[in-house]
Amino acid sequence: MAAWTSRFLLLRVPCFAALRTRGASESPVLALGCVRTLKNTTWFEEHLTEDNQKYMRKSINEEYRRQTAEKLNPLKDEPWPRHEWTEGSRRVGLVAVKLGMVPVWTKAGERHVVTMLQVTDMAPLFQCCGWRSGWIVVSGWLCVSLSFCWLQRSEETMEMFRIAGVPPKQKVTTFKVSDNAIIKPGTPLYAAHFRPGQFVDITAKTIGKGFQGVMKRYGFRGQPASHGHTKTHRRPGASGPGGDPAKVFKGKKMPGQMGNYFDTAHGLKVWRVNTKSNVLYVHGSVPGHKNCLLKVRDTILPRRSSSLLNPPFPTFFSEEEGDLEEDLYDQDMFVYSEPSLTLAE
Amino acid sequence: MAACIQRLDRAMFSIRLLRNVQLHNERSLSTSLHRLALDTEQPSKFTPPVKPVIIDKTQSVASLRKFLSPEFVPPRQRTKPIKFTIERKDMIRRRKVLNIPEFYVGSILAVTMTDPHATGKNNRFVGICIQRGGRGLGATFVLRNIIDNQGVEICYEMYSPRVQQIEVLKLEKRLDDNLMYLRDALPEFCTVDTDMKPQPSSPTGEVPVNKTRVRMLPKPWSKRWERPKYDVKGIRFDLCLSPEQMENAQKWAQPWVEYDMLKEYDTSKLEEDIYTELQQEAAAAAK
Repeated sequence: MAAWTSRFLLLRVPCFAALRTRGASESPVLALGCVRTLKNTTWFEEHLTEDNQKYMRKSINEEYRRQTAEKLNPLKDEPWPRHEWTEGSRRVGLVAVKLGMVPVWTKAGERHVVTMLQVTDMAPLFQCCGWRSGWIVVSGWLCVSLSFCWLQRSEETMEMFRIAGVPPKQKVTTFKVSDNAIIKPGTPLYAAHFRPGQFVDITAKTIGKGFQGVMKRYGFRGQPASHGHTKTHRRPGASGPGGDPAKVFKGKKMPGQMGNYFDTAHGLKVWRVNTKSNVLYVHGSVPGHKNCLLKVRDTILPRRSSSLLNPPFPTFFSEEEGDLEEDLYDQDMFVYSEPSLTLAE
Repeated sequence: MAACIQRLDRAMFSIRLLRNVQLHNERSLSTSLHRLALDTEQPSKFTPPVKPVIIDKTQSVASLRKFLSPEFVPPRQRTKPIKFTIERKDMIRRRKVLNIPEFYVGSILAVTMTDPHATGKNNRFVGICIQRGGRGLGATFVLRNIIDNQGVEICYEMYSPRVQQIEVLKLEKRLDDNLMYLRDALPEFCTVDTDMKPQPSSPTGEVPVNKTRVRMLPKPWSKRWERPKYDVKGIRFDLCLSPEQMENAQKWAQPWVEYDMLKEYDTSKLEEDIYTELQQEAAAAAK
């Protein structure tokens, strides 16, 4: 709701004439001014001093950390029963942030490009039942560091987080999982959930290009620029046979919105996992712009699912497996601390 | 033939004489430990002092001059800084294995690379560095040379595991930061001897600037190098273009761009931070 507000300002107007008459008395004349402002948002820090803002941020961070720790305490709440990995089980996925692309080299000296994805502050929220197998709602990317989004969230949203006992998050999304892979709400999820060598599917919103013609959208050839062509240079040409079908077939490629829809890249190999800063190195490019949020899950491709042998199930628990190495590499990947490649003659 | 042999004999004799004189001098000055060493290595006495001097210089080049390789400076964009931090760690790890020396556009380099198609599985290429590109692990540099009257350019990836060795044969800068115009210059300006020996450079002070200005082949060129956006200083335009043509090129000048404050990117503080980080890493590695 937009609201008209007015802000009264005390304006300091240096009035030289008055000063001259008063002589040595140096008090500027105060004038009352009015600035009309149109406001439709309020920010939590609007009426707080800088120290108070700092205090708020600090106390809220502490509160969230306490909540997460409490959730993990086995004395307070029993851990949920765990099941064995079987063929055809679907694990939960992760929400990650796209960092950018870097090159990697294999031990044979081939160069590939990979995308770096960062996973932070992921936790399942609650389980909602589907008609065949379990759906699990997972939230990620704690919103503390950005701004206090929770103050702008509705009360219903905040209630959802409160019931789950999870600090409020920026992104809430669902994953379809099998019944034996259900995780207790509040369990932190890490990048080590995925292991090097396995294949993943990544879903994200592609970069929006707006309403585009057929040349940009589908790569049509267009028409020549000259040789008698007028007003027909980037147009699609004919849209199909006339007379007999007497219609344009459904699905004809035409101008329209390009980008800004959800797209999935299937079967991308995980080359490396950094367990310390929770970064995944995934083969090739993924949809979405830099710093966008994406869903990462085990691949559904039947031929690639054999790469998923004995994964951490239902997820990676840091307190059970202990400290992993800082970097987990695929067996084919060149590690930078190794000496340069030499080929046998 | 006979005359040659005679001269050679004379030369050898004079060398021997010199060596003896040197030996006597050294002996009179040296301490007891040194004398022991000298006594055992009498015949190859003159050459050993030369070699360590070269090695010392190359080592001190890195230590004395403050130099940060340009690929360490992150580009100006909205990427999260953690990406560059992680990338930098990998770069440092690779640099501990492979010595990537300080060099500039215009320096003459020799790169040894693993090549599955070469005989001996190794390929060594000598050339002048005409361009440096890329940031982070994807950093590259382009070497150019003329081999059998044919211009050859190779783009090397600095952090590729196939690179075995990078040597700086001659450390110098040129008038420009990008020498792509050597493609359109007379071939003598980018011809480098493939058997070139490394030239010693001074470990401190400024890097010498080679102020050669090249002569170009007749037009057409791959780019219109006289246009102001390339800002080329190392071409002798007076030999290939008329004053009218030079004046005409100024139509594309954009003198306002240098005052565009949005395009300013001051990296001095960033570079300082990264440099100290690298120094700390090196100190930790030394321990």
